[in-house]
Amino acid sequence: MTRCAITGGCPSDYVAVSISALCVFLLLARSAIPFLYYKLSIPKGSAFWVPAIQILASLDLMVAIVMSVNLIKIEKRHWWWNSCYIWAVWLEGPFGFGLLLSCRIVQVFHLYFIFVKKHLPPLRSHIFLLLVLLPWVAAAAFIQLKKPLNHRCQMSAQWVAPLMVLHSIYVVIFVGLTRSIQHVNFRFDELTDLWRGVLVSTLSVVLWVVAYILNEIHDDVDWLRIASRFLLALMTSVFILAFFSYSSSQPLLSQVSLSKRECPAYESMSQALGIPNNGIQPQRRQSMAVDCNEPLDKLLLDRRFRRSFMAFADSCLAGESVHFYEEVLELGELPADDSVSRIYMARHIIQKYIVSGAPMEVNISHRTRQQILNSVDLGHPDLFKTALIELLQLMKTNLARDYWSSVYYMKFKEADAKMSAHELEMVTNWNITPRLSCVHAPDDPFHQENLFKSSDVMPSQ
Amino acid sequence: MGLLCSRHQHSNKADSENIQAAEIERRIERETIAEKHIQKLLLLEKIQFCSNVLNVLESLESQQFLSRQIKLLFQMGFDEAELKSYAPVIHANVYQTIKLLIDGSKELAQNEADSSKYGLSDDNKSFSDLPSRGNEIGDKLSEIGGRLDYPRLTKELSEDIEKLWKDPAIQVLVAFGSVDDGGSSRTFFETYARSSELQLPDCASYFMEHLKRLSDVTYVPTKEDVLFARVRTTGVVEIQFSPVGENKKSGEVYRLFDVGGQRNERRKWIHLFEGVTAVIFCAAISDYDQMLYEDESKNRMMETRELFEWVLKQRCFEKTSIMLFLNKFDIFEKKVQKVPLSSCEWFKDYQPVTSGKQEIEHAYEFVKKKFEELYYQCTAPDRVDRVFKIYRTTALDQKLVKKTFKLLDETLRRRNLSEAGLL
Repeated sequence: MTRCAITGGCPSDYVAVSISALCVFLLLARSAIPFLYYKLSIPKGSAFWVPAIQILASLDLMVAIVMSVNLIKIEKRHWWWNSCYIWAVWLEGPFGFGLLLSCRIVQVFHLYFIFVKKHLPPLRSHIFLLLVLLPWVAAAAFIQLKKPLNHRCQMSAQWVAPLMVLHSIYVVIFVGLTRSIQHVNFRFDELTDLWRGVLVSTLSVVLWVVAYILNEIHDDVDWLRIASRFLLALMTSVFILAFFSYSSSQPLLSQVSLSKRECPAYESMSQALGIPNNGIQPQRRQSMAVDCNEPLDKLLLDRRFRRSFMAFADSCLAGESVHFYEEVLELGELPADDSVSRIYMARHIIQKYIVSGAPMEVNISHRTRQQILNSVDLGHPDLFKTALIELLQLMKTNLARDYWSSVYYMKFKEADAKMSAHELEMVTNWNITPRLSCVHAPDDPFHQENLFKSSDVMPSQ
Repeated sequence: MGLLCSRHQHSNKADSENIQAAEIERRIERETIAEKHIQKLLLLEKIQFCSNVLNVLESLESQQFLSRQIKLLFQMGFDEAELKSYAPVIHANVYQTIKLLIDGSKELAQNEADSSKYGLSDDNKSFSDLPSRGNEIGDKLSEIGGRLDYPRLTKELSEDIEKLWKDPAIQVLVAFGSVDDGGSSRTFFETYARSSELQLPDCASYFMEHLKRLSDVTYVPTKEDVLFARVRTTGVVEIQFSPVGENKKSGEVYRLFDVGGQRNERRKWIHLFEGVTAVIFCAAISDYDQMLYEDESKNRMMETRELFEWVLKQRCFEKTSIMLFLNKFDIFEKKVQKVPLSSCEWFKDYQPVTSGKQEIEHAYEFVKKKFEELYYQCTAPDRVDRVFKIYRTTALDQKLVKKTFKLLDETLRRRNLSEAGLL
C-alpha cells in the first residue's frame, strides 16, 4: 500500500486515469460531432482555432496532472519522463490552465468590443492571446530558473502561494469581464457559456487549493495522498469537459439546433435571428408587367424579381452583389432598437461579404471597405449604404441590360403570367443572348462552401 | 485526324461539325495517303476548327476594352440603341470623376496644414482656396456624385463641372495622374505622389474636354466615347467572334471570356480555366505608379506581377498559349517622361539613358524585358515549348487592336496545326 502511494499505480489511480481518458474522448467527440455528423464546414479564422487551442490546452492540462501527480507507475527511462518541470510547470501552466483561461478571456474581450463598444476589436485575436499568456510564460520561466521543485514535484509553500494567486487572478479577470457584458441580451448562448466557465473554473481552483493543503499538511497519511490524487484527476477531467465552449465570438449555428431540440436547423443568419422571409414587399403590385424602365433598386425590392435576378447573376458568376443586397435588406428589416440582433447580422454580413478573402467577397473600393471595417457603430442603419450604392451601380452597368434578354427573365414573366392568370403576349423575337453560355463548374459556386483549396487561392489574399 | 476535333469539344455547333468531320475523315481514309499535301489543304478548308476558347484576364482594372473593340472590329459593331445605352454610363463617369477630384482636393487641403507646399507659383493659389471659392458648387456636385441615380447632365451642371475642372487647384491633382496635363508643366514633386493616389480613371480628361457635347439633349455617344467609357466588370461576359469576319465561312470562331480584375473577381476565374486555347493577359503598363482600387496600399504593377506569376504557374495552362498585351501604351508614353519608371519597385534598376522619343522606346523595352524574364523564371523547363507572345496595344487604337488580333489568330492556327502534326 505504501509503495503505490509513493510511486503511483494504485487501483484508484488507474480508475482516475481511465476516467480522464474517457473525458478526453468525450471532449474530442463533442467538438467534432457538428462537423462530422451535421456535415458543417469548418469555420475559418478565429472561430476555428480558438476552440482548437482550447481542446489542445485541455489535453495538455490532463496529461500534466496525470504525469506530475504520479498516477501512473511507469518505467522512467528518459530524462523527460522524470522532469517535473515539463509536466507540472510548463504543461500545466502556460500550455494548460493558463491557455484555457486566456482563450476564454479573448472570447469575452471580443464580445465586449462588438456588443458593448459596437465596433470590431482593434487587436487581432492571436496577438491578444499571446499578450494575455505572457505572465504565465514569465512565471514558468522564472520557476525553471530557480528550480524549487523537489523530486516529488512539490514546492514549498512560499512558491505555491504566488502560483495560486496567479491562477486566481486570471479567474477573477475572467469573472470581471464576464460581468461587464452580462447586461447584453445575447441571442445565442454566449453568456450562459461564459457563466458556466466561470463557475467551473472557480470551483476547480477552490478544490485544488483544498487538495493541495490537505496533501501538504498530512504528507505521511497514505490514503489521504491517494485520495487527493484521485480527486485532483477527477476534478480536472470534469473541468476540461465542462469548460469547453465553441463560440469564440461567433455563434455556431448548429449548436443552436443541437441544444434546442424543438427548433429546426437554421440555414441562414436571417432565419436564426427571426427575420420574416416575406417581410420584404410581400405583395406584388396588381399590375402584372414589371416595368423595365423602373430603376433597378426599386425592382429589386420585389422578392420574386430579386430571386430571378439573383439566379441570373449567379449564372454569370456575379451573384455575390445580389446576395449582399438581399442580406442588407434583411438587416434593414430588424427594428432599430434591437441593436444586438443588428450587430449579429452586421457581423455576419461583414464576415461573408466585406472582409478580404471572404467567401462571397463583393467588388467595392478600398475606401468603402475600410469605412465599414473601421466603423465605430456596427449597429448603425447606414453602415452598408455606400457599399450598396457602389454595387447597385455595378449591377446596373453590368447585369441589368443582359438580364432583360435572358432566359431567367422569360421564366419570370411566364410565372408572372400564370400567377395573374392573364394571357401573356409573347414577344416573338426574344433575342436570347446568354451572357455566359457555359461555365465549366460542377456546381453553382455560390452554394458550395469548400470549393477553393488553398493552392488555388490568390497570392495576394 | 480525329485529333483536331476531339481536342476542342466546346463548341455549341459541335454536333453538326462532328458529323461533318467524321464524314470527311472517312473519305480521306479511303484515299491514298501519298498526297499528303493535298490532304492537308483539304483538311484546312473543309473542316472548320471547333471553337477555340480564349480567356481574357484583364489585370486589375478591367475596362472591357477588348470586348468592346472586338465588337466594333469583328462583330456588327454598336447600333444606335446600344450607343445610346452608353450615355448614362458616360454621364456616370463624369459625375464620379468630378466627385473624386472635389473630395480629393478637400482632403488634401485638410491634411496639409502647410498649404503653401502645394501653392502654385504661377497664380499663387492653394488647395485651401478651392473650398472657399467653389464651395457650394463643389458640395453640390460631390453630393450628386454619391447618389445612386444620377440626374441627366444638363447644360447648367456641365458648366459647373467645367468651371471646377478648369480650377488650377483641381488641375494640379489631375496633372500627373492622367493623360492630359493641360499643357503647362508644373514641377511639384509632392503632387506626383498625391495624384496617383486618387483612383482617377483614364477617361477623365477626355470626357471633361467634351462636356459641352456630352450635355447636349440629343447626345448620342460616338464609338470613341464608348471605348473610353469606364465600366468595372463583375462576373464573366462571353463574346463569340471570328477574326476573319462574319462573312467568310472558314475560319475559327473564338469565344472570348472577359473577366473582372479585382481581387474578389479572381476566385471566379478558376471555373473558366479548363480547355482554354489561349490566355490573353492585359497588363496596363501605365499603372506603375498607381495603387489598387480595392486596396490602396498595394502598387498596381506589383500586383500585376504577382498575378502574372500565378497564371503562369497554373497546372491547367501547361500547354496553353500565353499572350501578353502590354496595354495603355499611349498613357505610358506620356507618363514615363514625367514620372520616373524606377519609382515602381519592380523597375527600380531602371536607368534613363536619353530623353525624348528614344527614351520612351527604351523604357518600353525595359518593361517588356522584365515581363519576359518573369515568364522564363516561372516556366518550368518542360513547359518551355508553349507559345508566349508579347504585344503592345493601346486600348483605343482600332487599327492596332485589329492587327494584334490577326497576329494572334495566326499564331494560334499555327499552333493548332503543329499540335496536330501537320506542320
